[in-house]
Amino acid sequence: MIARRDVLRASAALALCGCRQRARPVREDGRLVVTFWYAYGDLVRKVLLELVARYNASQSRILVKAVHQGDYFEALAKLRTALAAGAAPTLSHVVLEVVPYLARAGVLEPLDDYDGAREMPFVPALDQRGSFAGAGREPLVAIPFNRSTPIAFANARVLEEERVEMPRTWEELAEAARRLTRRASNGEVRWGFEVPVSWWYWVAMVGQAGGRLVEPDGSLTLGGDAGVEAIRFWQRLVRQDRVMRQPPGRDYQAWQSSNESFLQGRIAMMWSSTAYVRYLEDNARFPVVAAPLPRHVRASVPTGGTMFVLVRSAPDEEKLAAWDFVRWMCADEQTIAWSTRTGYLPVTRPAVQRLAERGWYARHPNDRVAYDQLSDATPWPWSPDLFRVDRDVVEPRLEDAVLTGRDARALLDEARSEARRPA
Amino acid sequence: MTPRARWHPWAMLGPTLALLAVFFLAPIGVAAYESLFSWDLLTPPRFVGASNYAALAARGELLHVALRTTAYSAIVVLGTMSLGLALALLVDRPGRLFALVRTSVFSAYVVSWVAVALLWMWMLDGNGGIFGRALHGSPLGDPGWALPTLAVVGIWKLTGYSMIVFLAGLQGVPRSLHEAAALDGAGAWGRLRHVTLPLLAPTAAFVATTSLVTSFQAFDVVRIMTQGGPARSTELFVYAIYEQVFLDLSVGRASALTVVFFALLLALAALQLRVWRARGEAAR
Amino acid sequence: MKERRSATALWLALGGVALAAWVFPYAWMVVTSFKTLPEIMSNPTAPYARRLDLGAYREVFATMPVARYTAVTAAMASAIASAQIALALPAGYALAKLRFAGRRQAFGVVLACLLVPTQATFVPVFLMFAKVRLVNTMTALVLPFAASALGTFLVRQALLAVPDEIIEAARMDGASEWTIVYRIVAPMLRPTLVSLFLVSFVFHYSDYFWPLVMTTDDSVRTLPLGVALLREQGTGVRWNIVMAGNVVLSAPVLALFAVVQRHLLRAVGR
Repeated sequence: MIARRDVLRASAALALCGCRQRARPVREDGRLVVTFWYAYGDLVRKVLLELVARYNASQSRILVKAVHQGDYFEALAKLRTALAAGAAPTLSHVVLEVVPYLARAGVLEPLDDYDGAREMPFVPALDQRGSFAGAGREPLVAIPFNRSTPIAFANARVLEEERVEMPRTWEELAEAARRLTRRASNGEVRWGFEVPVSWWYWVAMVGQAGGRLVEPDGSLTLGGDAGVEAIRFWQRLVRQDRVMRQPPGRDYQAWQSSNESFLQGRIAMMWSSTAYVRYLEDNARFPVVAAPLPRHVRASVPTGGTMFVLVRSAPDEEKLAAWDFVRWMCADEQTIAWSTRTGYLPVTRPAVQRLAERGWYARHPNDRVAYDQLSDATPWPWSPDLFRVDRDVVEPRLEDAVLTGRDARALLDEARSEARRPA
Repeated sequence: MTPRARWHPWAMLGPTLALLAVFFLAPIGVAAYESLFSWDLLTPPRFVGASNYAALAARGELLHVALRTTAYSAIVVLGTMSLGLALALLVDRPGRLFALVRTSVFSAYVVSWVAVALLWMWMLDGNGGIFGRALHGSPLGDPGWALPTLAVVGIWKLTGYSMIVFLAGLQGVPRSLHEAAALDGAGAWGRLRHVTLPLLAPTAAFVATTSLVTSFQAFDVVRIMTQGGPARSTELFVYAIYEQVFLDLSVGRASALTVVFFALLLALAALQLRVWRARGEAAR
Repeated sequence: MKERRSATALWLALGGVALAAWVFPYAWMVVTSFKTLPEIMSNPTAPYARRLDLGAYREVFATMPVARYTAVTAAMASAIASAQIALALPAGYALAKLRFAGRRQAFGVVLACLLVPTQATFVPVFLMFAKVRLVNTMTALVLPFAASALGTFLVRQALLAVPDEIIEAARMDGASEWTIVYRIVAPMLRPTLVSLFLVSFVFHYSDYFWPLVMTTDDSVRTLPLGVALLREQGTGVRWNIVMAGNVVLSAPVLALFAVVQRHLLRAVGR
């Protein structure tokens, strides 16, 4: 009879020893494994996984394993802790705001000397050099992946019914929102306008109001007066005019909520990302029209989305393999597939040209909006503190400002002094 | 009994003590040490002394987190205790229906927090949720209502525990006392007030203090349902620690929060011990 | 007579309300899991699914390696529960039955650890595992729980009630200490050990917090984490899929509970 103790000991040992981190590089079926951590769900994830499968099927040397890690911020958190714990993947993608921080921490692989890196024909506003101001002499560490700008969406049927035109300035927006807001007798509201109260859209408005996050001399001004004006505009729309609803939920839950409400016809106009063009068009029961964001003192939009980054501490073989995959993803065919099936911008100039020649933009005018807006794109400052300022300092205060109506100037002064303090 | 060899007791206790020391006692010391540094896991740590604590106190963060966590725990404890007692009194009778109630209420306690949190998120969803639509929007999006909503979810999940403990306590009330009281002319309500409740007091103290300590450690419900929002209104202690480490990469701050959290727990545990000791004396 | 009948009716009614409050959410979860997304968006409060559509379940199994996650979770939970019993038995025995210098202090250590929750230790433990490169391994998920202060305490309490004569008799029969602990004492404590195992298994199976902190990718990802990730980003949550994931997560635990509840609740039922 086997003593219970022996059985227990054996199972404990089994559980414990199944369990050291694997030695790298890993090989499966003779193929080199590249781990790729990604952060999308639903439609975008489907497209990505199909592309990965296509790549894996197209050659037999490399196997890319894509692992879902939640949304951008969850994935980034996992990436950073994994880097610290020696459990990092080969390849991942990160939001632009965190690239300078990761670069300074020395965890990203410099890509200048990789095969073909310098010659890739990226759309100028979308690659590392074009997306950041003051990044001229920084080594190349990030390759554009899914790039976007914020754009305005509207329910074309409602606009037609109410005979309102797509607003082109802030004042026109406030007026249009007022005319489009309808309050039913049972308490239900059709809101004229909605936008997630968050960093990306605030930065857009700061630019439109003529301000800058960081002055050329490097001082952090958070937009100065323009920053205050942007917050006050939102406060006015939500609290005074009551034509805008602040979507509930944190981070991407708010974006989700806006999209859903828009699809259900409960919002007439909203700002969201070009990434949702296909999703919204396919799921709406009314025609969806997209337009550039309105201007104020000038037109300005930030770029968004993420860039591919290779992990420096990964074995060389894995990095070379990951680079092969990244180049493949940036090839015309793939970036066209990616962009046409989602709404993200195609990242290379030849790709844009081919799409135009095929008449894609003629058939899908909404897809063109974000690309045309690139001429008004404002680059991000190459500042290692940018991400911290975004997530820790500004984002929580934006929510606060609109929910409670605190004085915008006091809030930004507070934010500025906090941002200037070392981490 | 005397051990057969001097090393026997230590061989028997060795693995347990070693594991407990490494995973439960040493970490507190490590946290205290780390709280004196500023470290983002990617660059070398920097000694900053007590400035992590100062920063937490200065921004009022520490106080707010402590207050929020206390408020959440208080609502959950009061809710689960009153509901648990009421349910225990209700189901302490024979019959299929009451057995079913016992089982289903307790099953909520057994199921994963993930399942409960996701389920309630769905029911409260402003666009498609059964309650959310009736309320014209999810209460989770309102900074005033988010925390009480989380507390209600907590009550739904945890009432089973207090119900079971109260049921056991009710069983401990001798029938003879009930019969004697009935003979004296006490009605059902009178018996409840003068026989049952006083004898349940120690049980109630037990439930209260264990529920308090448990709900003070709440994390899953925040992480899944609100991630600390909106506007930080649901940022409870453990979630704040988690955020500091994994989202803000600020190990020093997280460690400082851990130290304060642990100190508060010790205070609560001391309270718990005091209450149990009183219960022990009352039983004598 | 009349009073009792109306009282009974009242209790039944209240019982019905309580039953509804705790059963309805589960029922709603199951109903939602059988709907399709357009159904949910067009008529969210419909009490029945139009037909038992398995699309949501198919999607769950397609996007998530359910079998693998379940296996990992079950392996982890049983490893923890088994280790806890294996270690608590000798430790509780030593504390209850053997007299030796340092016994009080050892017991003090065990009691002290009852006060320290994993929510207070996770940061340092994570840092410790990171240093030795054991983050994201089964070791990090199991080892911290292998010793259970509560289990040790309960075994000790239970053994205090066992008369010494039995053990002395076994010693005179020539049994080794290990035999005594695992072959003689253990069967006597069967109810306690079974409860400990079940409670520990269910708790760790359903645990979200510790695996969330200790894993960085999906190699040892547990089922609760996988289901929590079903909440997608940006394009609108597909609640039928999330609820299907919920059913997959909860069904085994509820089934297990249904089987053992008679045993567990016998003490408090009638």
